[in-house]
Amino acid sequence: MAEAIHKKLQSELEKYQQMQKDVSKSMTSRQKLEAQLTENNIVKEELALLDSQNTVYKLIGPVLVKQDLDEAKATVSKRLEYINGEIQRYETLLKELERKSEQHREVLSSLQQEYQRAQAQNP
Amino acid sequence: MASTIHDQMAAAGKVKRSKYLPQGVERLKEEHRKVVKDCRSQFEHWKKVENDYESLQERLRTLPDKLSYDIMVPFGPLAFMPGKLVHTNELTVLLGDNWFAKCSAKQADALVEHRKKHVKNTLDDLQKVMKNFQNRADFTDDLEKLTGDTGDFVDIREEVINEEEVTKAKHRLAHKANSKPKQEYLLDLEEDKEKKEGDEEGTTGVLSEEELWARLDELERQEELQDERYRYTRLDSTDTNGEDTTSSSEEEKEADGGSDVQVNGHQKENGWVPTSITSQMNGTNGSHPEDEEEEDCDEEAGNGLPTIYFSHTAEFKKVRINTGKNTTLKFSERNEQKAQAKRKKKSGKSNGHSPHESYKITSPADIYRVFVDLVNGEPIPRKSILKSRSRENSVCSDTSESSTADFEERRAAFGRSWSHDDATHSDTSDGITEEESPTGTSPHTNGCFEAFTSTVIEKDPLPCSIPHLTIAPPALPTIPERKLEEVGPEAPQEPPKWMSKFKATRLHQK
Repeated sequence: MAEAIHKKLQSELEKYQQMQKDVSKSMTSRQKLEAQLTENNIVKEELALLDSQNTVYKLIGPVLVKQDLDEAKATVSKRLEYINGEIQRYETLLKELERKSEQHREVLSSLQQEYQRAQAQNP
Repeated sequence: MASTIHDQMAAAGKVKRSKYLPQGVERLKEEHRKVVKDCRSQFEHWKKVENDYESLQERLRTLPDKLSYDIMVPFGPLAFMPGKLVHTNELTVLLGDNWFAKCSAKQADALVEHRKKHVKNTLDDLQKVMKNFQNRADFTDDLEKLTGDTGDFVDIREEVINEEEVTKAKHRLAHKANSKPKQEYLLDLEEDKEKKEGDEEGTTGVLSEEELWARLDELERQEELQDERYRYTRLDSTDTNGEDTTSSSEEEKEADGGSDVQVNGHQKENGWVPTSITSQMNGTNGSHPEDEEEEDCDEEAGNGLPTIYFSHTAEFKKVRINTGKNTTLKFSERNEQKAQAKRKKKSGKSNGHSPHESYKITSPADIYRVFVDLVNGEPIPRKSILKSRSRENSVCSDTSESSTADFEERRAAFGRSWSHDDATHSDTSDGITEEESPTGTSPHTNGCFEAFTSTVIEKDPLPCSIPHLTIAPPALPTIPERKLEEVGPEAPQEPPKWMSKFKATRLHQK
C-alpha cells in the first residue's frame, strides 16, 4: 500500500518537475523577447533621428543590403508588433503552466500526506 | 522561487515562534542579499557602458578634425600595418537588430546621446531596486529583532476569565463586539509580519482603519451612556505605566494615524509598539484594563518573548466622589487612565517624573495623597489645580490662570461621570486636560513631555478623546515622543469626529 503510494508520488513528482522546466523555459524565451522588444524600440527611435539622406543597411548573413529609410521604419514597426504578440502568447502560456503546476503541487502534497499516513500505519 | 519563499514565510508566520522562524528569516535575508548583489553587479556593468559611450562621443567629436589620419591598421589578430583613416566624417552606425545606417559624425553623436539616455534610465531603475531591497533587508533585521528572543521586549499576558461577573450586559456586548474583529486583525498582522514585508502595509492599514472606526463608534457609545462603565477597581491595582499603556493603546486604536501606528508598530518601523511594550515592562504588575486594545497591544507585543503574567484584582467597588457640581460621579476607567496619564505627564514635566516613582503611586488616590502636600494650607484634597491659588507651587507649573475660567465652564457643561477616589481627582484630571488644551502649541516646542501635551491639546478639551494621544510615561526615549509629534498632527483629524458628539452632549446638558 505504501509502496503504491510511493510510486504514485514519484511519478507525480517527475511530472511536476517537468512542468517546472517548461515554466522556466518559457520564462527565458519571454525574457529574450523582452530584450528584443527594447532593442527594436531603440532602433525605431534612432531611425526617427535620421533623415533620408543617410543610407540604411540591413545585415542579412554576411551581406549588408541597402534599404530605404521608410521601408526600414515600416519593417521595424512590424517586427515590434510581432514581438509584442509573441510576448502576449508567452504570457498566457506561462499563466497556464503556473496554474497547472499549482494543481500538481496540491496533488503532490496530498499524496505526500497519504504516504506519510501509510508509513505511520504500516511499519 | 519567490513563491516558495512566500510559502516558507507564510508557514513561518503561521507556526511562529517555532524553529522555522529563524530559518525563514535567514532564507529571506539570503535572498535579499542575492538580489542586492545582483543589482550591484548590473549597476557596475551599466556604468561601464556609460563610460564607453562617453569616450566614444569624445572620439566622434575629434574625428572629423582632419581629412585623414595616419594609423596602424590591425591586420588580423596579431599584426598591424601602417595605413590611413579616410572619409573621417562618414560613419556606419549599428542601430541594433542588424540594422545599419550611414551617417555623419554629428548624427552619430546624436545617436549616442540618445542611447546614453536609455542607459541612464536603466541605472536609475537599478538604483531604486537596490534601495528597495536594502530597505527590505533592514526591515527583516528589525523584524527578527522584534520577534526573536533578544532584548527589550517582554510579553505581558493577563488571563482574563471572569469577565461576565463584573460587567453589565451592555458592557459585555460592547466588549464582545469589539474583541472579535480585533483578534482577527491581530492574527492577520501576525502572519503578515512573517510574510514579505512592504506589501501588507496598505492592506492591513485599510482593514485596521475600518475596524478603528467601528471601535470609535463603540467607544463613543460607551462614553456617552452613563450607566455602563468599565470595572472600577481595575485601576486600583494599576501601575502608572499600565495606565499609560492603556491610554497609549487606546490612542493607538482610536487615532486616525493609529491604524498606521499600529501597523507600523507591528512592523516595528515606529516607536509606538516599543513604547507601549517598554511601558508595560516597567510595570511588572501593570494592570490590564478591560480594553481589548490593551489586550491586543499586549498580544502583539509578545511573540515567544519572555512573558510576564499578571492579573487584575477581583474587587469591584463603585467609587463615588463628591466633586461639587457633579456629585454622583461614577468611575470611568478610561477617563481615569487618561487623567492619570495626563497627570503623570504634567507632573513629570516639571519634576522629571521622579515624584511618581518615589511616592509609589499605584492608584489615582495615591496621587492625591501625594500632591496634597503642595496645597498651601492644610493637607486637604485639592479640588482642582486650576481652581486653587496654589497652582503656582503646584507640579504643573505651566498652567495659566486664564484657563481656569474655561475649565470651570467646561466642567459645568460636562455632566460626565467621573469616578475617582477623591473629590479633587476628577478636578485635577479635568484641570490637566483642560489646561493642556489652552496652552496650544507652545508645549510643542519644549522637551519630551510637552510633545504629549501638544498632541493632547490638539483640539479637544474633552478628556475622553485625549487619552488616545497619551502614551507611555515620559521616561521613554525621545523617539516615541517624536513619533507622538508625528502622530499628533494626524490625531487632530480624528477628534473632530469625537468632538461633535461630545459637544452635542455637552450642549445638551447645558
